Amino acid sequence: MSSWVRVAGVDELPAGELLGVEAEGKKIVLANVAGDLYALLDQCSHEDLPLSAGLLEGERLECVWHGAQFDVCSGRATSLPAIRPVKTFDVDIRGSEIYVDVD
Amino acid sequence: MSDTIVKDRPVEGVTEALNRDAVIAQGAREPEWLRERRLHAWGMYERTPMPSTRLEEWRYTDLSRLLQLDGMLLAEDPDIPDDPSAFPAQLVETMNEDRDAAGHLVEVDGHVVHTDLSPDLASKGVVLASLHDAIEMRPELVERYLATEAVPPEEGKFQALNAALWTDGIFLFVPRGVRLELPVRVTRWISGGGIAAFSRTLIVAEEGCQVSYVDEVLSDDLESQSLVSSAVEVIAADQAQVQYVSLQRLGRGAFHQSAQRTLASRDATLDTLNVSVGASVARVDLNAQLLGPGANSDMLGLYFGDGDQHFDHNTSQDHVADHAASDLLYKGALDDASRSVFRGIIRVHPGAQRTDAYQTNRNLLLSGDARADSLPNLEIEADDVRCSHGATVGHLDEEALFYLMSRGLEKAKAERLVVLGFLGEVLSRLPLGGVVEKVTRVIEQKLVVHSANGDTRVA
Amino acid sequence: MPKNELVEGLELDDYKYDFVDDVKPVFRTRKGLDEQIVRDIHAHKEEPEWMLEFRLKALKIYEAKPMPRWGADLSDLQAVLEEIYYYVKPQDQMEHSWDDVPENIKRTFEKLGIPEAEQKVLAGVGAQYESEMVYHSLKEEWESQGVIFDSIEDGLRNHPELFRKYFSTVVPIADNKFSALNSAVWSGGSFVYIPKGVELGTPLQAYFRVNQERMGQFERTLIIADEGSRAHYIEGCTAPVYSTESFHSGVIEIVVGRGAHFRYTTIQNWSNNMYNLVTQRALVNEGATMEWLDGNLGSKATMKYPSCYLVGERAHGNILSIAYAGDGQHQDTGGKVVHAAPHTTSSIVSKSISKGTGRSSYRGLCKVYEGATGAKSNVECDALLISDTSRTDTYPYIEIEENDANVGHEATVSKIGDEQLFYLMSRGMSQEEAMALIVRGFIEPIAKQLPLEYAVELNRLIELEMEGSVG
Repeated sequence: MSSWVRVAGVDELPAGELLGVEAEGKKIVLANVAGDLYALLDQCSHEDLPLSAGLLEGERLECVWHGAQFDVCSGRATSLPAIRPVKTFDVDIRGSEIYVDVD
Repeated sequence: MSDTIVKDRPVEGVTEALNRDAVIAQGAREPEWLRERRLHAWGMYERTPMPSTRLEEWRYTDLSRLLQLDGMLLAEDPDIPDDPSAFPAQLVETMNEDRDAAGHLVEVDGHVVHTDLSPDLASKGVVLASLHDAIEMRPELVERYLATEAVPPEEGKFQALNAALWTDGIFLFVPRGVRLELPVRVTRWISGGGIAAFSRTLIVAEEGCQVSYVDEVLSDDLESQSLVSSAVEVIAADQAQVQYVSLQRLGRGAFHQSAQRTLASRDATLDTLNVSVGASVARVDLNAQLLGPGANSDMLGLYFGDGDQHFDHNTSQDHVADHAASDLLYKGALDDASRSVFRGIIRVHPGAQRTDAYQTNRNLLLSGDARADSLPNLEIEADDVRCSHGATVGHLDEEALFYLMSRGLEKAKAERLVVLGFLGEVLSRLPLGGVVEKVTRVIEQKLVVHSANGDTRVA
Repeated sequence: MPKNELVEGLELDDYKYDFVDDVKPVFRTRKGLDEQIVRDIHAHKEEPEWMLEFRLKALKIYEAKPMPRWGADLSDLQAVLEEIYYYVKPQDQMEHSWDDVPENIKRTFEKLGIPEAEQKVLAGVGAQYESEMVYHSLKEEWESQGVIFDSIEDGLRNHPELFRKYFSTVVPIADNKFSALNSAVWSGGSFVYIPKGVELGTPLQAYFRVNQERMGQFERTLIIADEGSRAHYIEGCTAPVYSTESFHSGVIEIVVGRGAHFRYTTIQNWSNNMYNLVTQRALVNEGATMEWLDGNLGSKATMKYPSCYLVGERAHGNILSIAYAGDGQHQDTGGKVVHAAPHTTSSIVSKSISKGTGRSSYRGLCKVYEGATGAKSNVECDALLISDTSRTDTYPYIEIEENDANVGHEATVSKIGDEQLFYLMSRGMSQEEAMALIVRGFIEPIAKQLPLEYAVELNRLIELEMEGSVG
């Protein structure tokens, strides 16, 4: 079952940046990779700290706290100290608004 | 090397119900010293940030997810007559199981509604009373010990909140040399969701006396979250023998917070048992102070989680005096997606030679979604000591299970026996009348649900 | 009871590595750290451009991260970090023959017995002096089988693809403040590659020496043990005693391939003015075994927790840790094991001895992720206290998300028993000899795992330390 929620305006998330949002009690981080948007749970799988404070380089999100890295498309961990993936969400742009399926 | 970064957060926890005006209202008819004490505590509360997972002691209990103070109302006086026929059914049922007692006290939402004490003990000077009555009866003792030496507001955010806003509580005084054959039984009922209830317990045991105290806190399942806050202060003078037992059987929806400290003087025995089976979230902070040579504290704990229950037991054993002993055993079983945190520390202070201090935490995971975190710590600053600790996390003992099944027991029954055997070790070390049966029954109920779910992954 | 020969042969100074060599560096950066210094290090090393970007990014992360507020007392460290030299180049190039190493430096390593050991028992030797490896050699036998044992700089230069594939993937820049610092200013260390199926019969050894006062050493070691290989790498560290503090912060990354077996031994005997903050981590694949043998005897303050990330089925991690904390020393050491695959197993054994005002702390993590079914881990910590002014702590973190796992932790604290001492003395031993014997018995399970010369060294140290302990 899908449950789409508006989480931000498109203009709030320039290319190459991250944005932490909240939708239905879930903390979510949005990533803009050259115009393509991705959404992940805003919680590093290493120590549960927010990923939205991290760095985005291409499709790679680097957690600021201990340097774990994730592929924003799949949520897969690509560097220690993280091993587990981070949950991803579907994203949709409707007009000038960003929607996330929080299911 | 690895990093822990501490981030500043804005001060939280002041709400429409929990604020300075409420503190002033609470103290309106109280003596000057107490009003000041409440305001001092409130000041501490405002200055202390809400604990975050960046704090070592709250690392695994994320209050920003687990506690919502906004919207909670301060628990009001239920205005129930001192008559069991007017009490909630489950409360009466529990009280009926506790007939054999030196005295009873019943509290509803942090307000004392009933007290009785055997006339014989009263004539010997024993006092069992609501804290408010105790302020009239034994002002010198209450002023000396209430939120001063044992659980002062400086201890933390919740300790400060409780010291500022407590509505009532329990006072027990046992004079020198008096021995109580039967336990004192206290039953505390929480009537519903959406409230914050603050209660305190103060036990003062004089030289060479003997007393057992059983506190049971319970409720139905709550439709919205309630905070059930307790502060427990137990002071045992030289050679006193005190047993403190806490049974937490709150319904789902409750956030139970209990800050306990025991002070044991020379040759005193001060044992505790904390049983956590209820509530959605339960956090117990227990500190045992061994203040005189020969003091001894057995610290027992038992928990059984299911559903999405979250238990966090934070214990410490402070060996300040030499030649004292403490022995901690906390055991728990965790089913479904429940979670437990055990964090314990033995601190042997400089000069506390000939300390014997032990600490054991054992966890049984009954489901693939359960989680147990265990942090048994030692800080030893004297050299002539015997200290050890151990922690284990494991699954059901397959050999024991297999043995029982080979004797013809069906699997569910065998499992029940193994779990009960595992947890029973704790109860057997403090076999207080009524407690063992009651706890065993609650665990059996949980195990029946467990068997029905069939979630055990025993290979 | 015959007198122990080791005791008789002792000189009276407590720390035998306290000698200063008269070596003038060919280059050093100015004191302290800023972007220009990072650029200077990069320029001197003639590295590819991506490494400059890596270093500069690391500098920013280092500056942004706060000092740890746990573990050893680092309250004076900031001042030390402002006063040290981050890069000191002792000679123009690295040599592959002892004959070509400058006389003064060679003498140092001769005093430490390195050339002799190489001839006898080692597959290869590396020696780092200040910021650079001054010597690296590998026996022909192994070179011909494709083993790479080189300075990290040569690894980057000669094996750029292999280097880049693994560098900083096990310990990312931002892992902790000091891994970030190392990433910004790293220099020296080893690059090791053991090809598939190659089993080294004798160990590789690297020796680390800090000679200059106010020096920071930041070696970086990257080891790849390919499938089914087997090797043992040993590092030793010493420095002279100065009145000012020095700083050592290494990063060791190890990838243990499927079915491989790798052992890494550290015997750290830094002088007691050294801050030693090291990150050592291994990624352990299917059926592989990683063993850390970690001896911390020297330094003023050490924070070091060798880690095994068990990511493949049946991977095994083994950590043996021994710490000695004498007057004014704090050894904050331990180990981490992370179980992220089924049937992974691990064991940590830690023994510590604290004497005088020394403090040893065990800090460890055992984590079992959900899905790591059948995981087993066991941790044992024993602490021995020699004086009533010494201190010991145990801080294990046990995080278990999987019910089909068995995890245990046990720790004990004890002192040398009067009865034991009395018995030995009644047999004619002096109190000091008796204490040394008891301490040796205490660490025996770990000491017997050490290469012989280090075991002898450990014994010698214990006897020296026990001499002053009877008051």
